[in-house]
Amino acid sequence: MALVDREPSRYLPDYDVQAPKQLHFSPYADNGGSVVAIAGDDFSIIAADTRLSAGFSIYTRKQEKLFTLSSNTVLGCSGCWCDTLTLTRVMAARMQMYEHEHHKTMATPAAAQMLSTMLYYKRFFPYYVSNILAGLDSEGKGVIYRYDPVGHCEKNYYVAGGSSGALLQPLLDNQVGYLNQENVEKVPITKEKALAIIKDVFTSAAERDIYTGDGIFIKIITKDGIATDFFELRRD
Amino acid sequence: MSSILVPDIPAPGFSFDLCQRNSLLEKKGYPAPKAQKTGTTIVAIVYKDGVILGADTRATEGNIVADKLCSKIHYLADNMYCCGAGTAADTEATTNMISSQLELHRLNTNRVVPVVTAAKMLSQMLFRYQGHIGAALIVGGVDNAGPHVYCIYPHGSCDSLQYTTMGSGSLAAMSVFESQWRPNMSEEEGKELVADAIRAGVFNDLGSGSSVDLCVIRKGSVDYLRPYEMSCKKGEKQGTYRYKRGTTAVLQKSVRPIIIEDEMIQRVDHESMDTSS
Amino acid sequence: MFLTRSEYDRGVNTFSPEGRLFQVEYAIEAIKLGWTAIGICTSEGVILAVEKRTTSLLMEPTMVEKIVEIDKHIGCVSSGLMADSRTLIDRARIECQNHWFTYDEKMSVESVAQAVSNLAIQFGDSDDDGSAMSRPFGVALLFAGIDEKGPQLFHLDPSGTFVQYDAKAIGSGSEGAQQSLQEVYHKSMTLKEATKAALKILKQVMEEKLNDTNIEVMSMTPEAKFHMFTKEELQEVLASLPETREDSLRSTSNMTPSIRTSLSMQSQ
Repeated sequence: MALVDREPSRYLPDYDVQAPKQLHFSPYADNGGSVVAIAGDDFSIIAADTRLSAGFSIYTRKQEKLFTLSSNTVLGCSGCWCDTLTLTRVMAARMQMYEHEHHKTMATPAAAQMLSTMLYYKRFFPYYVSNILAGLDSEGKGVIYRYDPVGHCEKNYYVAGGSSGALLQPLLDNQVGYLNQENVEKVPITKEKALAIIKDVFTSAAERDIYTGDGIFIKIITKDGIATDFFELRRD
Repeated sequence: MSSILVPDIPAPGFSFDLCQRNSLLEKKGYPAPKAQKTGTTIVAIVYKDGVILGADTRATEGNIVADKLCSKIHYLADNMYCCGAGTAADTEATTNMISSQLELHRLNTNRVVPVVTAAKMLSQMLFRYQGHIGAALIVGGVDNAGPHVYCIYPHGSCDSLQYTTMGSGSLAAMSVFESQWRPNMSEEEGKELVADAIRAGVFNDLGSGSSVDLCVIRKGSVDYLRPYEMSCKKGEKQGTYRYKRGTTAVLQKSVRPIIIEDEMIQRVDHESMDTSS
Repeated sequence: MFLTRSEYDRGVNTFSPEGRLFQVEYAIEAIKLGWTAIGICTSEGVILAVEKRTTSLLMEPTMVEKIVEIDKHIGCVSSGLMADSRTLIDRARIECQNHWFTYDEKMSVESVAQAVSNLAIQFGDSDDDGSAMSRPFGVALLFAGIDEKGPQLFHLDPSGTFVQYDAKAIGSGSEGAQQSLQEVYHKSMTLKEATKAALKILKQVMEEKLNDTNIEVMSMTPEAKFHMFTKEELQEVLASLPETREDSLRSTSNMTPSIRTSLSMQSQ
């Protein structure tokens, strides 16, 4: 350094470490995955892709990300998988405790509110999970609730979340919500159309989102119970 | 003394004029946009009669597929090609620059340019830029000494190998080569092996995908197969998504007629070259 | 009942050789010093009625609040040590709000009774934080509410036992009142009939003459939820009650301080 100081015109950059460096431990992982849900007058459909990944590698191609909480409530999770596991286990335990305490199965709106409080309870060390809750309300109508990681809860009837949420939400806005369409008859969505749209939006998401692919698990919730479907997606 | 006909020749090398401005902007919270990276699988092998290069065709920007059918096997010279992984702009520019220098070299020497020349030029250039040019390359070609494969890292290190892989899918692809590559393979065997290696990357590496490109270089001939195979079929749509006429809102409408003020016909005759001087 | 009085009646943590917890039994006895409260559950709703003795002419009668709101859909009346009832009612209110906060739905009447019962039996818990009571609560509660199962009435006693009733009386006149309820109650009772029946029985067991200041009445209906009867409404019901012989016998001086008021802890 002394040499450089004497000859300022011949400045050499200083490569010395100038301050202590702190390396941070990151407690979160992004394991990708997308969830889409559409609700109708007497049903609600929720689907999630089955790819579990980290960085550029695939952990598994067949991971179900939908959690059946009761005979008419299903929770779809994507984001940090370890947080998903913990959150859904606590959720299931709370559902069970509620059943014992109050002698009834928790209704979907009650589960929705409970999830919100559970997430907000960890406001400053959140579960890094994008949640979508699908089910039927007290009148048997389909309902969808979407969340942010710290517990903001919004009721809706079509929602896309997870790694390709930003890709798919505008598509659903247009196709299910009839947004930005003129002179169009806004008919309530049928179960068959909702199912077709869900499969198609996932096909599209798999084209452009590297964290979505392999296949999707679909749960169709009606008053008669929950039916399951599987649909293949591209695997590259 | 510049004009439209005789523009100033730009100074060679990179311009660092904007570096200071960019770092200032970054401090103020306006980071520069990220360059497109091709999370990639590229491979090359030596077989009995030459070399086979292979690449996938996916280009990514973060978690989004930016290009589903991009070309990653670049032309260097008639007898050699170069696969590129890393920052798309860097691989593209680097191979183009070296390609032009190789052509000049060929004209100067009037010989088939040796593959090692290209490899050396690339590695020296990358070393000069200390890794800031994010190009990971595989050069493959056939010259008078026979077939060659070189693998060049962004910092400028260079290996001469019989088979090699690069990019984010390199480990997946290398597992195929390590278990199945043999010396003196036939062309058909070699093509299938290279395609297998790329497929391993396509399916197991999220940065690679879509299809397989191959380039077979023999002494005196090249087969550039693009695409060699579409590895993954696009899903079939369940519904139709056509809009009725009038679905899109018309916000404003104004009609402006084109007014013809004057009509003129001009005939352009053939001009002969001026050879007087 | 207390012939075997012994050293076993000191602590709440010790059973007597006959298997009894005397302190709990004494606490149940304490309720029998409280003012009479009656609850009747009908298909139209639930009615709560309670006597409200004014122990001194100088006391402000509106300060005595016997029937309280737990939540919009649950009302509660207590008999026994009023101070103790405050603690239990506070817990009931907190549990209701907590349930609403967590589940965005009304807490069921049974669950409220269960939650308060959990607090009621915590006596003698040697918690390090010292929050538990050292003795049983000397109070009985009647919860009247409406949830998805319809109108319901629950009774909770100091032992923490809670039972659903069609009609229940607690307090000093409970024995006679319960007898009368048994005779009068039938499943197809209307709310109006129930109100009249409750006041009629209250009238039988009360020393004072019924008027619009010495009783409190609450109705719990699906439409109006928790509703305290106004003076006018009380007068209307009172006017509809048949005049009995005892009414004329009773002295006009309706302020007869009972001997119970001399208890160190005032029971209501």
